[in-house]
Amino acid sequence: MLLSPAILALILVSAVICLMLMLAGGFAIQLLRLWDINSGSELQLRLERRTYLISTLLTWAFASELISLMLFIYNAESMSGQFVGAMCATGVLNVNEWGWPTLFLKIVIFFSGTIWLALNYLDNKGFDYPLIRIKYYLLLLILPMVVTEFYVQTRYFLEMDPDVITSCCGSLFSVDAKGVAAEVSSLSPRDAIFALYGTGLLVMLSGTWYLLRKQGGLIFSLSGIAAFVAAIMSIISYISLYIYEHPHHHCPFCILKSGHDYAGYTLYVPLFLATSLALAAGSISLWRRIPSVNSAVEIYAPKLVYLALILFNIFYALAAWWVWQSNLSMGSIWQ
Amino acid sequence: MIEFIRKQAYLVDFTLSSLLRRKGKNFGLLFVYTLIVFMLASVMLFTHSLKKEAGIILQQSPEIIVQRLVAGRHALIPADYIEKMGRLRGVTSKKARLWGYFYNPVVKANYTVMAPDHLVLTTTEVIIGAGIARTIGLDIGDYFTLRANNDTFSFQVKDILDKHSELVSTDLVLISQKAFRVITGIPEGQFTDIVLSVRNPREVRKVAEKLVQKLPDVRPVLREEILRTYDSIFSWRQGIVFVLLVGALMAFVIFAWDKAPGLSAEEKREIGILKAIGWESGDILRMKFWEGIIISLSAFMLGYLAAYLHVFYSSAVLFEPVLKGWATLYPQFRLVPFIDGLQIATLFFFTIFPYVVATIIPIWKASVTDPDAIMR
Amino acid sequence: MRNSSLFLLFLVAGLLFILMTVMDAVSQQDMARESLKRRATLVSELGLSDLALSTEARYTRHLSLADRHSAFQDHPTSFDHFPSGSIFLPPLHLAND
Repeated sequence: MLLSPAILALILVSAVICLMLMLAGGFAIQLLRLWDINSGSELQLRLERRTYLISTLLTWAFASELISLMLFIYNAESMSGQFVGAMCATGVLNVNEWGWPTLFLKIVIFFSGTIWLALNYLDNKGFDYPLIRIKYYLLLLILPMVVTEFYVQTRYFLEMDPDVITSCCGSLFSVDAKGVAAEVSSLSPRDAIFALYGTGLLVMLSGTWYLLRKQGGLIFSLSGIAAFVAAIMSIISYISLYIYEHPHHHCPFCILKSGHDYAGYTLYVPLFLATSLALAAGSISLWRRIPSVNSAVEIYAPKLVYLALILFNIFYALAAWWVWQSNLSMGSIWQ
Repeated sequence: MIEFIRKQAYLVDFTLSSLLRRKGKNFGLLFVYTLIVFMLASVMLFTHSLKKEAGIILQQSPEIIVQRLVAGRHALIPADYIEKMGRLRGVTSKKARLWGYFYNPVVKANYTVMAPDHLVLTTTEVIIGAGIARTIGLDIGDYFTLRANNDTFSFQVKDILDKHSELVSTDLVLISQKAFRVITGIPEGQFTDIVLSVRNPREVRKVAEKLVQKLPDVRPVLREEILRTYDSIFSWRQGIVFVLLVGALMAFVIFAWDKAPGLSAEEKREIGILKAIGWESGDILRMKFWEGIIISLSAFMLGYLAAYLHVFYSSAVLFEPVLKGWATLYPQFRLVPFIDGLQIATLFFFTIFPYVVATIIPIWKASVTDPDAIMR
Repeated sequence: MRNSSLFLLFLVAGLLFILMTVMDAVSQQDMARESLKRRATLVSELGLSDLALSTEARYTRHLSLADRHSAFQDHPTSFDHFPSGSIFLPPLHLAND
């Protein structure tokens, strides 16, 4: 095992988030059993007060989850010097079988967290806590993910063996290799562009539709997810090639390095924000029919949609710009 | 939006004046907090920069150093091992080296004595590291003595190694091979180790494998191993230091839990009054949240800046005794600062995060209490 | 001046100082390029393998050349007693076989 401050911090954060969510989960069960908004009993009063604590706890927990996602990738990047064969984060994530699951879990938890926070915000706007049960059911769904993340991440760090010769981005994200990553890499740029801008169009249309007609929020969220997946695939399949100016380098992490002008941050930050806002918008737009939060939905959902659309547009513009300014010309690959 | 900012500004105003009303307690908290950030940040900045620097300069160290081991210990290597190695593909040069340690009981200093073959030195000339020159007070032209086998050998200092290179050379004593053999008694035909240069870095491992097959009693030390050693040199112990400091951190967290969000009678009364004049639980939470932000951000900034000055402008004086141990020679070096986001993020997680977590529950408790229960 | 403005000022000043440390680091790295090169030259000329951080024991002076027994140099059961031995990690190639 390698014991470094960043690893300790990551484990510490996961453990604390886990504890916080367990505390909240225990309370969620109690609340789901006993909640009765019409009762004026001592117990109900206590439960209502407790919800304040839970929302504060979870806001902090999900905010830290976001930072820990960044720290995780950054740490993987910086540890690449300690493993034979690792050149960037890919190699370090490949050190054992727990690396990638940890990353994916962190991303999923981050997105679920934003949905939860959006619901929580909306719920607090209604005087009768209309979403409280849904909110806490959702929390009980997130809890196992957080616990799994803690377990998987701890195994990942504990089983890091500095003697393992790992494989790096060059071999994992290559057209000839096997596996999901390789298949994404070998996706032809033409298909990737269709997927990217097709889903982009879908997002724009459903977003505009929502803004005009106040319906179809869920479709907007779903197209947001599709756009996210398509965007990640196109980054691997062709955008990265243009950033590296190298026809065979498909790594999604090396673009975060200083040598490539931190291009990755200009792509990932708007993309992640846009997707999470799209998810939040969709998840609150569902509750338009509940009278006590109707007005809040009318105010906030369009705002979120606007913001999400702006950020998606920024992402597409930047993606196009990185391709346009590159010196690489790939006429030969464009059959 | 403007409305929101104005509201927060009023909250900050209020929070600050309420903090200043209890100066002693809050400055005490701030001081302890800053100290913790300072210690953690110093350790991180120091080790990270040292690691980076080692990575750059040790990139030039020999590709392969061949040692001979006898009974698990490093032993002298006979010169004919060079012939025994035969022709190894990819090896461009093989050089036998003479070097060793020398303890000077008078100044209680350990020297690393080397007999390099690229320098032309007569048997009475010596080149010394800047650390030795400073500790004994020698200058070019002065005499430097080594005492061995009941004899005293005097050398004239021909040169002093570059002061800026003390990090690698502070304790070096360079003399001629002949003088080295006389002083140490190492017979002709024996060397300390053999250095191989390999042109293509990809062949280094292959060469090392072949070497061990041909000469089972040698151990090759590869440059990549040296680099990896220095890349992780402090990580582990830094981890241990952090684990130990976590103890201090826990104590601080408990302190914060107890003190920060104000469960003292006076503060309780304050909260009670606020609630009685119409503040909601949410407002109290927000105010206490600002209290936490003010204290932890201040402590973080002050601690980090102090650590930066300590490590890069005072040569990390506080760490010197630890690294120096019982030695008298210690390099004077000013580290080149290397900072990256990872360290700052880690530092953030080690300091602000525990504080916030520790104060959430007490803050909430304070915010939901009924005004009449407090003021009764 | 209001307290909140003062705090904002303090915050901005602190952030500026932190930014300055980053800029200072970059400029010092630039300035040190020459002396780093000199150090590297010395390392390659003499074939040095280690930093001279701690000169008290041979296994902390030449960390990467230490053998398995160097921490027990006086006696098989006399544990590492030099203070610096408690700071350095043994070389990776020894720790892992």
